[in-house]
Amino acid sequence: MSAWLQQVIERGQGIDDWLSPARARALDALSNTSWPTRCTESWKYTSLTALEQLDLTAESAEQPSTVEPIPGVDGLDLVFKNGVLQTDLAQLNLPAGLQITSVQTTSAVQQVIATTLFSQIKPKHHLFGLVNDALAGDVLFIDIEQNSHIGQPIRIISLSTGGHESHHRVLVRLGNQAKATLIEQALGQQNSLSTGFTECDLGEQAELEHYRLAMHTGEAIYFGGCHFCLHHHANLNSTLIGYGSQLSRTDIDIIHNGEHAKAKLNAVYLLGESEHFDLHSTIEHAKPNGTTEENVRGIVGDKANAVFNGRIHIHRDAQKTLAELNNRNLLLSRRGQINTKPELEIYADDVQCAHGATVAEIEEEALYYLMSRGISRSKALVMLNYGFIQELINQMPNQQLAQWLEPQLRARFKEMEVR
Amino acid sequence: MLTIKNLHARVEQKNILNNLNLAIKPGEVHAIMGPNGAGKSTLGYVLSGREGYEVLDGQVDFQGQDLLEMETEDRARHGLFLAFQYPVEIPGVSNMEFMKESVNAMRQHRGEEPLTAAEFLKKAKEACKQVQLPLDFLKRGVNEGFSGGEKKRNEIMQMILLEPTLCILDESDSGLDVDALQVVANGVNSQRDGKRSFIVITHYQRLLDYIEPDFVHILANGKVVKSGDASLAKQIEQEGYAFLGLDTSEEASA
Repeated sequence: MSAWLQQVIERGQGIDDWLSPARARALDALSNTSWPTRCTESWKYTSLTALEQLDLTAESAEQPSTVEPIPGVDGLDLVFKNGVLQTDLAQLNLPAGLQITSVQTTSAVQQVIATTLFSQIKPKHHLFGLVNDALAGDVLFIDIEQNSHIGQPIRIISLSTGGHESHHRVLVRLGNQAKATLIEQALGQQNSLSTGFTECDLGEQAELEHYRLAMHTGEAIYFGGCHFCLHHHANLNSTLIGYGSQLSRTDIDIIHNGEHAKAKLNAVYLLGESEHFDLHSTIEHAKPNGTTEENVRGIVGDKANAVFNGRIHIHRDAQKTLAELNNRNLLLSRRGQINTKPELEIYADDVQCAHGATVAEIEEEALYYLMSRGISRSKALVMLNYGFIQELINQMPNQQLAQWLEPQLRARFKEMEVR
Repeated sequence: MLTIKNLHARVEQKNILNNLNLAIKPGEVHAIMGPNGAGKSTLGYVLSGREGYEVLDGQVDFQGQDLLEMETEDRARHGLFLAFQYPVEIPGVSNMEFMKESVNAMRQHRGEEPLTAAEFLKKAKEACKQVQLPLDFLKRGVNEGFSGGEKKRNEIMQMILLEPTLCILDESDSGLDVDALQVVANGVNSQRDGKRSFIVITHYQRLLDYIEPDFVHILANGKVVKSGDASLAKQIEQEGYAFLGLDTSEEASA
């Protein structure tokens, strides 16, 4: 047991609220968890040393933490700052069919519903998911009634600033045939620790457009998770954008818990300097006729370090599953590192499944073609590499969001390309 | 415009150009013909500065400057343009973005303001029409999924937009039907203004029916073995390269 984990358990034991039974289960699991080392398979390429040595007492200048609107995206903004909800939920003008409540204000009826989600979709094996179970302060519950189509994107921003530790949780329930868009943006660059886990239950024929922008950089330590349960004919379209920090990891789980569910997951990570980003995804096909399309692309420059582990698990009953997992990486520097591992586990015999992972270097021919048109080498590198991920950005259903992201992603490249 | 003296170059340890000499004045059109492996495409790559094409000896003067000392992008900015035999497909980079960057790199080199998106779009649309490509080709990935003919027309469109001083067309006619050939030739001819020079690399005399050359050079074993006027191309069309007494066994292996 690490000293860090020990103090988490002690703090968790001190929290008494309506989630206590669930928290107690997490604390119990944590007590029986051995602290990951480089020998632990799921932490093989991600060291927790930075967390063990974390000192949040160090002084750091408070950074302005303003939330910029996304042009063209009329979002329903919910802001967490260091885990504390800043938005006055009572002041929100919510469309019919949408309810947003926080753990403090949740009615007894909703507490019962929330309890069916809290730590029920997220698998038990995520260490920092358990930490979040134990310590989550503000828990946001987003409830979308069946048949409700919420046109306005729900945008959840979580900011971390220097010297703070925070744990926030989001629970989302989409009733049958409900539709919604959820944009989750996590950011911070100063010395901090934050965890942010989201559990989404998609009812029959429900549709969720989801974005997770894991934008922690610099000194910020971040552990995130997105966990989805898909019922009959549910449709999930999720995009993850990952930046890297001294320690940043996101776990995604998608469970096909009803037949004919569809999941599309696109993920892009873009790392420079000595940034680290770890993405673990698991797709569980528990029921027949499900479809998964997962495309993960990453670009790694300088001394950055990317880890991708993508697992697709097709259970014995999940006949007629169509699943594809593709991970492509571009390594820009000899000092960068990419560790990728796609895993297929198939127990059904009538499925179509494909996976692949590549790590490539710059295509000299394309570079030459651009340079032969007067474009400088560094500019050409940016264009080519951006093209590599642009294909996935172009697939984002919300093009306003894509346009807002583009210059930020390009700017990251430019910094990376100092030669 | 361009003076090549005693040029020797190799690719992957293999000597391809051996003592090549060529002089091109402003406004002239020079056709370069020759059997497979003669070094025609290599000449284009060496002049444009492709990595891996190593110059062993010789000088190339381009408008009073030492071309071989310049980086690939600088050669382009100084007005050298190579229309590729096999244009590269670049998914994810739109044709529009690519050409706008390119045109603005040239403008910046000349000390001009970059074109705005609207100004560029206007020019690009005109050029697109001129080579008879549908306008949606501007939005597509560079050469992505283009047919052979569409790729060649895309090259000519770039040439029109970039307004180079020396254009090297590397087999811009290969794989084209007669209609497409005419579009390419018209595009080239529209750029002939008495100052701009052209090197037209081709296998067949056919293209030269449309783009009339001032000079025809036969390249074999890495050097110019015969030069003449347009009638030389016609002679080759009829008689093949045999009358030049070339060592065909080396040709076949080259």
